[in-house]
Amino acid sequence: MSPDTATGDPSVRHTPAVEATGEITDTLLETRGLRKEFGGFTAVDDVNFSIEAGELRCLIGPNGAGKSTLLKLITGTYRPTSGKIYYDGRDITAVDPHERVQRGISMKFQVPSVYGDLTVRENVRLPVQRFAGGDERRRRVDDAIAAAGLSGYEAVEASALSHGQQQQLEIGMAASLEPDLLLLDEPVAGLDVAEREAIAERVTRLNGTEDIAFVVIEHDTEFVAEIADEVTVLHNGEVFREGSIEEIESDADVQRIYLGGDT
Amino acid sequence: MATETETTSGPGPVDGGPDGPVASLRTYVEGPNTVGQSRPFWAGFVVAVLALAAYPAIVGGYQASRFSLFMVYAFLGLSLSLVWGYAGILSFGQVVFFGVAGYTFGVVAVNFATPAGITAAFFAGIVGGALMAAVLGYFMFYGGVRDVYVTIITLVSTLVLHTFMAQTAGDEWTVGKAALGGFNGMPTIPNLAFGVEGAAVRFGSVSFYYLVLVLLVGTYLGLRALVNSDYGRVMVAVREDEDRTRMFGYDVERVKLVVFTVGGALAGLSGVLYAAWGNYVSPQVFELAFASLPVIWASVGGRKTLLGAAAATIGIEFFRNSLGGEWALVAVGVLLLVFVLGLPGGIVPWVHDRYLGFRTDAGGPAPPESAENPEVTDS
Amino acid sequence: MPNGLNLLFQFLDSFAFIVLAAAGLAIIFGIMGVINLAHGEFIMVGAYATTLANLEAGLPLPLAMLVGVLVTAMFGLVVERVVISGTVPNAIGRRVLGRDVVEPLYDRLADSMVATWGLSLVMVQGVRLTLGNSLDQIGTPLGKIAYGGFSYSSYRVLLAGVALGLLAATYLAFTRTDYGMRARATVQDDDTARALGVDTERTYMTTFALGSALAGFTGALYAPTITMVPGLGGSFLVEAFVAVVVGGPGVVLGTTLAGGLLGAINALFSNLVGTFFGRIALLVTAIVMLRFLPDGITGFLDRLRQRRQEGA
Repeated sequence: MSPDTATGDPSVRHTPAVEATGEITDTLLETRGLRKEFGGFTAVDDVNFSIEAGELRCLIGPNGAGKSTLLKLITGTYRPTSGKIYYDGRDITAVDPHERVQRGISMKFQVPSVYGDLTVRENVRLPVQRFAGGDERRRRVDDAIAAAGLSGYEAVEASALSHGQQQQLEIGMAASLEPDLLLLDEPVAGLDVAEREAIAERVTRLNGTEDIAFVVIEHDTEFVAEIADEVTVLHNGEVFREGSIEEIESDADVQRIYLGGDT
Repeated sequence: MATETETTSGPGPVDGGPDGPVASLRTYVEGPNTVGQSRPFWAGFVVAVLALAAYPAIVGGYQASRFSLFMVYAFLGLSLSLVWGYAGILSFGQVVFFGVAGYTFGVVAVNFATPAGITAAFFAGIVGGALMAAVLGYFMFYGGVRDVYVTIITLVSTLVLHTFMAQTAGDEWTVGKAALGGFNGMPTIPNLAFGVEGAAVRFGSVSFYYLVLVLLVGTYLGLRALVNSDYGRVMVAVREDEDRTRMFGYDVERVKLVVFTVGGALAGLSGVLYAAWGNYVSPQVFELAFASLPVIWASVGGRKTLLGAAAATIGIEFFRNSLGGEWALVAVGVLLLVFVLGLPGGIVPWVHDRYLGFRTDAGGPAPPESAENPEVTDS
Repeated sequence: MPNGLNLLFQFLDSFAFIVLAAAGLAIIFGIMGVINLAHGEFIMVGAYATTLANLEAGLPLPLAMLVGVLVTAMFGLVVERVVISGTVPNAIGRRVLGRDVVEPLYDRLADSMVATWGLSLVMVQGVRLTLGNSLDQIGTPLGKIAYGGFSYSSYRVLLAGVALGLLAATYLAFTRTDYGMRARATVQDDDTARALGVDTERTYMTTFALGSALAGFTGALYAPTITMVPGLGGSFLVEAFVAVVVGGPGVVLGTTLAGGLLGAINALFSNLVGTFFGRIALLVTAIVMLRFLPDGITGFLDRLRQRRQEGA
């Protein structure tokens, strides 16, 4: 069950599927007709969204477009009003959140949610302890702390860390769950340039060496340009555009929705 | 210990010292979730246990018997510490499991007053308490009830049981030979006994005292091991942030249910011993006044520490008993007020922090249990 | 017919009891996020003050009741300053130790339960030690209604009318007065309220005093009908507590609906099986309601309304 992270082999959980047409696809996550209503308000409207294994997708769109809601539907925090979600070829629409995590979906919330009263070491140990014991565990904890740039901070209470450090810690904790798909909700909000760089580099590295697929919600276009393979634009709960960052940036309609117009 | 390197949850380091096996045992019961990880602490612990063991010889059987009630209550205090301090579930209903267990023990023991029957009653009572907790816990946690509403439901459950048991006065409320007795309760519950006829141990005043002491020490150490284990860390994570812990792949509802059930078993153990101690159980155990006592013990002693909960239970009950009557309750009420407002963490953590500060200020190396020394806080 | 009347009177009695017991608690819970487990003892203070004013000081009953309300309100103010907001201990702490010593109990539901429980213990025992184990009771005014072979206390039935009047008055207070506006703003978001110039501290103080006054009013009203023992608050607390939680965040509507539902269930089961089971049925209903409608009745209605408004 445990991947060999040292050599960067992909997680054994996910294998490419063979479609009915005989075509080999590597679709990791797929939503079909996904819809979420709150009272009379439709936050996510008939969204067909899919992610390939190892892909790095950025999800952008004006505020209120439904981005966070979509992520929470994927993690299972919200149940859809209608529609389905498939992960690794299987229907997970009715699967509990904690089980989705066990199957390989991991998330970093918008607001840093590390365990404030626990030390950095104790924080990291929590996800790691599910995967290893003894010396192996200690090694992984050390590696995770180092990867987050927090060596030397092992005994510091997480609430005493800076915002940027907490983001790094949380990404590290989410990554140490050995996910195939990591969802990040605004990982660089409120960070300075150096911290943003560090996060961008971290995400790219995790995506490259550990083949983790990413869905990242971010407003910072420079950050998006730096890391994204593909970009999906959400607007009013619907998928508005999809494409490379260059295509999106030069798309007049996308500019317009950001400026408040409608198409 | 200075020679202790980072340890894991497995067997201890190859220390080689004369207390090697002790050191390896210590790794099970030490960790960031309990206070006391140094040699002086354990030395003090041993002294305290020896003192408690010597107590009956000093004060005589009658006083020792009165004191054993306080130790019986300590299980109830520990049960709340476990579910509240370690899993974040504030339950006003631990006395429900206490009482159900007490009544179950009473019913079975009165009907089968042989040592074998009483042994069965002992276990039936504990199982009864645990089962009740499992049912209530399932209803609440798997029904999505959270936070203060859990507290409210446990509180109301206590009231339901009080009202129900209080009206069991009639003759129809008899199970076999055991009359539930309504407000008057169930008397003539036999003393505790283990074994079968011919090879039984019957517990009178002094032997009961020692039984409770042994059980208490064993339970305390067992709970220490539990809360410092991997599972214990998950419990603490659930307490700190349920939603986040769920997103680390942990089945939070199941953790809460399991912990709540174990808490119910502990409260049940307390109830069984209580019924055997006083040879009596009544709906008074479901009264709000009694239901709030565990909350008081845990709040004053420190709900996040097992030692605090147990010590405060014994201390407060001893104090309450010595003071007697009306003034005792006023004092306890004031105590609770002062602590919840001024020192919500309780005494033991406060003392522990002072001790750590004192040791570091004195210029020596950081004591083993301080946060600056990462070695003991690991694994 | 007589049994039908019996049931009706039992319902009115139960409804009145629950609403009057819950009113003060609901206001404090709804606006301050504090659960006052000493609420029963506040009712006791009102009852005792009324009884003493009437029997010892010789005041006529209505005046004695007024005294009961005022005494309880003042007592509530003291409790608010010392225990709930911690203002007094902090003022002392700042002078002696140079820092605050306690945190306010607002929105700390579990802690407020524990702290006010300590307060209630102190109050019950304090009264027992100073005023003894019981007081003489004021006689119940207004006699009885007789029908068939039964009779029912007219006074207790009248209280149902008083309860309704109280609900109406509270509704008006919250919607028509300045205080009501401020209080509702503070519930929504006390940071914003403060930024808009609302003195949230004064609002909390007034709210707690108002809730205490209502508790005192309940105590005053019931003084002629219940046994005057220091622990009398206990029987009010349970019903009050349960009604507040089942009712939900809407103070007036929640209390009314909860009072109606729980009162009906209590009356029905008391009538059919016995008072014990009436109580048990009430409590079990509360547990079931909490499990399925965790935001209470009004919380559930709020969500329904949202859905209907925006969905159409």
